[in-house]
Amino acid sequence: MNAAIKTSFFKKSRNRIKKSLGEKIFDTLNTLFMLILSFVTLYPFWYVLILSLNEGSDSAYGGIWFWPRKFTLDNYRYILANPQLQSAYLVTISRTILGTILTVLVTGFAAYAMSKKTLRFRKAFLTFFMIPMFIGGTLMSTYIVYAKLGLINNFLIYILPSSFSFYYMVVLRTFIYSLPPALEESAKIDGAGYLRIFFQIIIPLCLPAIATIALFSGVAQWLDFSTNLMFVYDDKLMTVQYLLYQVVRANKMTVLNEQAMAATGALQTINTQTITSQSIQMTVLMVATLPILLVYPFLQKYFVKGLTLGAIKE
Amino acid sequence: MMKMSISSAKQIRKGQKTRQQTEYALYLFLLPAVVATLLFSYLPMFTNIMAFMDYDPTAGWMGLQSKFVGLENFRKIFNDPSFYTLVWRTLYYSIVIIVVTFPAKIIFALLLNEIRSQFFKRTVQTITYLPHFVSWVILASLIYIFLSTDSSGVINNFRSAVGLERIIFMKYEENFPIVLALSSLYKGLGWGSIIYLAAIAAVDSQMYEAAIIDGATRAQQAWYITLPSILPTVMITLVLEMGSLMGSSFDQVFNLQNSVIQVQTNTIATYTYTTGIVRQQYAISAAVGLFQGVVNCVLLLSTDFISKKLTSYGLI
Repeated sequence: MNAAIKTSFFKKSRNRIKKSLGEKIFDTLNTLFMLILSFVTLYPFWYVLILSLNEGSDSAYGGIWFWPRKFTLDNYRYILANPQLQSAYLVTISRTILGTILTVLVTGFAAYAMSKKTLRFRKAFLTFFMIPMFIGGTLMSTYIVYAKLGLINNFLIYILPSSFSFYYMVVLRTFIYSLPPALEESAKIDGAGYLRIFFQIIIPLCLPAIATIALFSGVAQWLDFSTNLMFVYDDKLMTVQYLLYQVVRANKMTVLNEQAMAATGALQTINTQTITSQSIQMTVLMVATLPILLVYPFLQKYFVKGLTLGAIKE
Repeated sequence: MMKMSISSAKQIRKGQKTRQQTEYALYLFLLPAVVATLLFSYLPMFTNIMAFMDYDPTAGWMGLQSKFVGLENFRKIFNDPSFYTLVWRTLYYSIVIIVVTFPAKIIFALLLNEIRSQFFKRTVQTITYLPHFVSWVILASLIYIFLSTDSSGVINNFRSAVGLERIIFMKYEENFPIVLALSSLYKGLGWGSIIYLAAIAAVDSQMYEAAIIDGATRAQQAWYITLPSILPTVMITLVLEMGSLMGSSFDQVFNLQNSVIQVQTNTIATYTYTTGIVRQQYAISAAVGLFQGVVNCVLLLSTDFISKKLTSYGLI
């Protein structure tokens, strides 16, 4: 109470002091700098968005800066009707959902067990989990293990190797420590087993921490590109990021070829003459980015919380 | 009510039998994590011995019955002058990135702290954190779009508007480090400043009050109070960055490369990929990878040691 009064007094007094000319100039320049920085950060996305909404043949003349000149949704119609993109989207969404659930469960189970002081060999387990942070396999030694386990060209490679994370476990365990032990003990007396306690008490109480972990893991799943590049060669298991990589690298129509389009019958309604390889690239880029751009502003606080949660040392 | 349940729980815990059951069930909880760590972390650690073999994937279980050649693979790479170029380039790129991004994040946090309007501050934060959530595939293609020579290349459009010729910027390997540094800055500026903003928020406000009474300007407050207060955080992050000198982001380098400059811009991360998986020289790739792994481990342990000495705050 006392402190609150103090700070409010302090704020008032600080405002009452007249700003010097130098300060005013600094404040203006600082605000201007922040505005420019925000613009520079956002403009690339805006630029790609307007080009994806403009007729490709018209964009080729250049001169489009802030607003589409010949607005069209044909690029999106063309891309979204493509079977390869639909399949890539399905794969990416599946791996994001399944991978996130698996990570939360495996990491959560481990964090719960490791939070128990009664667990024998707890220190040994902690060391066991920690050593891979310092030494690990190389790309090749990992490759042959995946090959031996039958994970090359297998959907499971997207979700199994990332199912346990030492870092997330430490974050979650720190959170479990902060819970009142009485809750769990009273449940135990009522005859609840560990599994029931985990799902009905630990998970609901840890929801803020779990939300953060789920978000980080979900974003990592959505953005992951190199797993697909290195270990999956089957087009049926292609992810959106890898598809974009192919479109950008080749900037050809080989991935999004017209034959596949004709099969869907989508070509009939679209004037393909206005679509260029460049407008295809812009549109795939947007399609790969939009899901994150749309959810991110609402979930930002969880991400930031996750970063500061991790800073807690046990 | 609460008290009773606690005391009775204590009584139950005293019973030896319950304790035994406790542990067995808990080990089941640990099982998935242990299996995943064994399979995906410890097994690849073990198969690292392929770096000491004339590796043939068809020889025996996982090709582990290939002929042992001792340090032959390492002799090969250490005798190859291009290996030293590769190591030096990896270090050089990391250093350029750190030099550009590290001070920038701190300055950005300090400037953001001077913004009075909470709404404006939060909006800037939201916007600048955004690129952190975009993949390198997307960022690299954005960069290529902006640098392209055709009509969509904003940079070249600007150059031609002021009378300069259009250039193929990414054709020259000299330009690569600055592209790496600027793209790292774009992706990490906002996100990297969070840790400093958190440190600034933790500074005791009484120090500022005292400074104001003594007539300190805002510049003096930033220089004499804020900066010294966040110095431990700055030291820790610097030490951490040093620990990753030998690593480079595979996604970043690989996506920014193009076929013209690929060989001249390879880092260890992209080299092990192109040599091992694309060109299938398994043993050489494994040896280079293992070299990097050992250097990384040494760097990490020594930076942890330094960090503990300086700030009594380590990683382990």
